[in-house]
Amino acid sequence: MNSTSQPILEVNGVSKAFGGVEALREGSLKLFPGEVLAIVGANGAGKSTLIKIIAGVLAPDRGYISIRGNRITRQDHSVGFIRQMGVEVVYQDLAIVPNMTAPYNLFLGRIPRKFGIFVDEKKMQAKTREVLADLKVETVQSLKRPISEMSGGQQQSIAIGRAIAWGKEIVILDEPTAALGPNETQQVERVINEIRKRNTATILISHNLDQVFRLADRLVVVHQGNTSREFLRNEVNIDELVKAITTG
Amino acid sequence: MASDVEKEVIRPNDEANLLTAKLGMLWWDSPQGRIWIGRIRDNVPFIAITLVILLFWFISGDRFMSVRNWTFIAQQTPVLLLLAFAQLLVVTTGSIDISVGSNLGFSAYMAALGMLWFGELGLLVGIFSAVFIGVLNGTIFSLFKISSFVTTLAMLIIVRAVLVIVSDGRSIYVSDQPMSNSNITSIEAKWLLDLGQFPQILYFTVAVAVLLWVVYEKTVFGQQLKALGGNEKVLRLTGISVNWFKIQVFAAAGFMVGLASFINLARSGAATVQAGEMLELDAIAAVALGGTVLTGGYGSVLKTVVGALTLTIVANGLTIAGVPPSWSRIARGILLITAIAISLNRKQIDVVK
Repeated sequence: MNSTSQPILEVNGVSKAFGGVEALREGSLKLFPGEVLAIVGANGAGKSTLIKIIAGVLAPDRGYISIRGNRITRQDHSVGFIRQMGVEVVYQDLAIVPNMTAPYNLFLGRIPRKFGIFVDEKKMQAKTREVLADLKVETVQSLKRPISEMSGGQQQSIAIGRAIAWGKEIVILDEPTAALGPNETQQVERVINEIRKRNTATILISHNLDQVFRLADRLVVVHQGNTSREFLRNEVNIDELVKAITTG
Repeated sequence: MASDVEKEVIRPNDEANLLTAKLGMLWWDSPQGRIWIGRIRDNVPFIAITLVILLFWFISGDRFMSVRNWTFIAQQTPVLLLLAFAQLLVVTTGSIDISVGSNLGFSAYMAALGMLWFGELGLLVGIFSAVFIGVLNGTIFSLFKISSFVTTLAMLIIVRAVLVIVSDGRSIYVSDQPMSNSNITSIEAKWLLDLGQFPQILYFTVAVAVLLWVVYEKTVFGQQLKALGGNEKVLRLTGISVNWFKIQVFAAAGFMVGLASFINLARSGAATVQAGEMLELDAIAAVALGGTVLTGGYGSVLKTVVGALTLTIVANGLTIAGVPPSWSRIARGILLITAIAISLNRKQIDVVK
């Protein structure tokens, strides 16, 4: 995470307008392997536009992003391509299929097959146990029951587990604990700390500033469409941060 | 869960809760009670069929509980069951296909026509027609984003009309010997009529049911059906081609309708303009009686078998008990609503449209 290592993701002067409104102006940031970068800002500041551009959901009007030093061209700027480059997003409300099992959710879109058409249940269960053990998530529930029967923290852990289980290098977490209670939040925060150990780079979007201070190594403040300020966690206190968020 | 319940009970301002606290927890709201209610809800189809059989046994005695009557039920159920299977595939994804009855009539006629033209292999024309209509349903529904209810309602009307035009209102009969009367269009296929008899018809249906169970429970396709019913948006975000999959689902349902039309032709010995009319409602009822939630995500092949059997037994039992057909229909409608009411967990449903 020191400044001499190569950034894994670079956002360069990215702008995006909707109609006449410029949601993002010359947004820039760098992300290094193994760090947790928090993006903070008021509602409507441009956080989600920035995230959507990084995820490939939106293409920038001006500027570009590069991943591992490769500049993503305008034509390649799509969800499919950027996923292939190793960027996974865990969306706030759209992370799991509630009526399916935890293994199914972990393998979503990548179900292992036997003889071309059958589900390889054994492989899925084994891999799920492995991922859950890696992330130090304890489950008492059966892996054959719908995931909706698990706690919110366990569900979110599975969603995050999916993002990192496939050797992904950049994980974007959009308000990962907004809907969770205190115990479950703690569980998810532990999972985020586990990912840091694997040298995966994490972008965390959170309204919970205490959480941001607990988890992030660096913070980028988005204010009125600008990536206005950047702090290392230990060079800022919460009052200065709130001031930066509200006044830029 | 348990801690939630306790918090609720001791909330001081809430008189009702205070009362509950005084009286002790209501049994069905206790964690233990909820588990039991859940178990009962899961087994409604099995409980219902047992009650129905006992009831008619009690009313009609040996006239109902005879080998002859059960053979009749075994012959009566397969067409409905195969249509219910088609419906199960679609309903699991959260959609509905009300064109299955018209599709059955049309593809049975096309099968008969195919046999008239090409001999026995011409039967496949019927299966192809049914799959084609399924593909058409799926394509209109997923590409034009018209709800499956509206799409298949339109298809119900159109396909029946096409059948009337193609057949010119005339039936094609299946016979076991050459027909001399040239005014009647007929095909000679004794093997087909035999297939429509007990026990062959039962063997065929059981084989299809077992195959469908394997597809539904063990394959990636089956898993995807339930996942699509569970959360379509998540599937889209993970890069699964949802539109293409929906077309496949309706095609698979069409294939099941094709099998149903084939069995219907074998059992009734004729392809008529009216074949399959109103059967779509029975198919939906059988799926719902089988405990499959109409909003999608869950379903069971075995319970759908039980649902179709229950529906057939009720119709049969009421007839034996001497209930007029219209009253029989009313009774079956009430049964349907009751079954759905019990199997749904209304606490989890916010909006009903």
